[in-house]
Amino acid sequence: MYELSSIEKEYNKLMSGFQIFLKMPEVSVGTTPHEIIYTEDKMKLLHFLPTVEKTHPVPILMVYALVNRYYILDLQPDKSVVRKLLDDGFDVYIIDWGYPSGVDRYLTLNDYVNGYLNNAVDLVRKRSGLDKITLMGICQGGTFSVMYSALHPEKVKNLITLVAPVNFDTQKGLLHIWAKNLDADKVVDYYGIVPGDFLNSGFLLTDPFRLMIDKYVGMFDRIECEPGDETCLIRNEEIVKNFLRMEKWIFDSPDQAGEAFRQFMKDCYQKNLLIQNKLELNGKKINLKKITMPLLNIMAEFDHLVPNEASIPLNDAVSSKEKETVVFPTGHIGIFVGSKSQREVCPRISKWLTPRSGLDEETPDTKIKTSKRKSKKELHES
Amino acid sequence: MNMEETNLESTHEFFDMWVKTYEATLGKVSEIPAIGPLREKSEKISRGFPLFFSLYSTWMDTVVDFQNISMEALKRMNAKTVTLEDKTGTESYKELYNIWMESYSETFKEFMKSGHFSSDMGRFTSNFLDVQKYNREMLEENYLKPSNLPTKSDIDELNKELYSLKKQVKELSGRINELSGNK
Repeated sequence: MYELSSIEKEYNKLMSGFQIFLKMPEVSVGTTPHEIIYTEDKMKLLHFLPTVEKTHPVPILMVYALVNRYYILDLQPDKSVVRKLLDDGFDVYIIDWGYPSGVDRYLTLNDYVNGYLNNAVDLVRKRSGLDKITLMGICQGGTFSVMYSALHPEKVKNLITLVAPVNFDTQKGLLHIWAKNLDADKVVDYYGIVPGDFLNSGFLLTDPFRLMIDKYVGMFDRIECEPGDETCLIRNEEIVKNFLRMEKWIFDSPDQAGEAFRQFMKDCYQKNLLIQNKLELNGKKINLKKITMPLLNIMAEFDHLVPNEASIPLNDAVSSKEKETVVFPTGHIGIFVGSKSQREVCPRISKWLTPRSGLDEETPDTKIKTSKRKSKKELHES
Repeated sequence: MNMEETNLESTHEFFDMWVKTYEATLGKVSEIPAIGPLREKSEKISRGFPLFFSLYSTWMDTVVDFQNISMEALKRMNAKTVTLEDKTGTESYKELYNIWMESYSETFKEFMKSGHFSSDMGRFTSNFLDVQKYNREMLEENYLKPSNLPTKSDIDELNKELYSLKKQVKELSGRINELSGNK
């Protein structure tokens, strides 16, 4: 009798899940109000509308990876790094790299770092009326931010890296191991624009059974089925919506500009030039010792894509006097969307950044001079 | 030449002799301009065979690897399921599922971390792209060019031109802004 009722319960769970799926609830992502203040080719610069009356003077520019989309940082209202930072009084900008197409096939890393990123930084500096801003790079965007901070230290006041690889010579992450045997030239020469699906299949292969089977089973397992319980129905719908938001993000993989992909694979993953200060952009060597601004290097302990060994060496490679490493017991994605992220990661960033985001403040090691902020009228005129 | 020999050297020797004789006689005929295009085409077609063969062989290696690793995962799972013998009900099915998931996930992850899988995947991807490239070349050669339609390389050339023009415009705009004191 017991066995029959438990089978019935499992069956009801499955059917409830299917019913919700069949209705296909609409899911929205990246809902925090924002304005697009700049576009260049496929790239857009988004400015989030502040949620407090007076924001900290130094704005944050967030830089996400070229693979997958930036809105993982603003997945849903209660799981949003962006919203949390806004509520903590920061003025937040983010770069949306867009979806490269054939015409972007020849974009190089130099175009991304010294082109798009530099133009975005200049615009944020101009709008804030400050010489330096905070750069917050995530994953591959963190690598770009590190490159940028070494090349233009005069424009970066604080550098925050989240799960960002800089040392690619590690045997811990599967992507690092596989990349060594990938013929990047052949991939780029054939595809031109490297398909997002090609890369996505690689990500799925890092743990095929869990990523292709178990997570779907887990979703149905979370469905509750209490007959006649209306709040339970709402909870179920929320479970499915959250799941679909994540699915939408996972499979929203933009194609990659071929030349940038080629250089990233060969110079970073295969030759590991960045950490050795040998990587060149536009003929100029990137010397990480030129990074002197305060650095907060955040990692996820169970990161299967960017192992801690890929991020830790950054602190020794830079000249910053103020540098901190923080490791959270979570995964590569969980660090942005997990409940821990909202409870611990964001507050930790705010705590570190708040005393460093004021005007003319005395920082622990140096006094940073900032220029006079521009008034709204001046901004409008400029 | 001793045809009684059974090693490969004599086979090679025979093949070399045959090629030289062919090139000196019938091969000469195919070099006549009128026959040239046909010869080129057949050469291009025959270039595909070793590519297909390499892809097939790496594909088979991969299949064998995955079969072996599946067997290993099954063995590990069987060793763990002994504890389930006395259990009944849906909980035992759940436990079985969890054991299956854990065994397969961990075994496959272990395998995928190995240099063996990495180099096999690298070879497979490389051979796959070689075949894809060959197929595209054939498509362009036999259909697109005769139909006067643009090929991938034609489009790439345009993209490259567009990229450098855009870059030039951006550089010039930057300089104009600098000179006019806007930046």
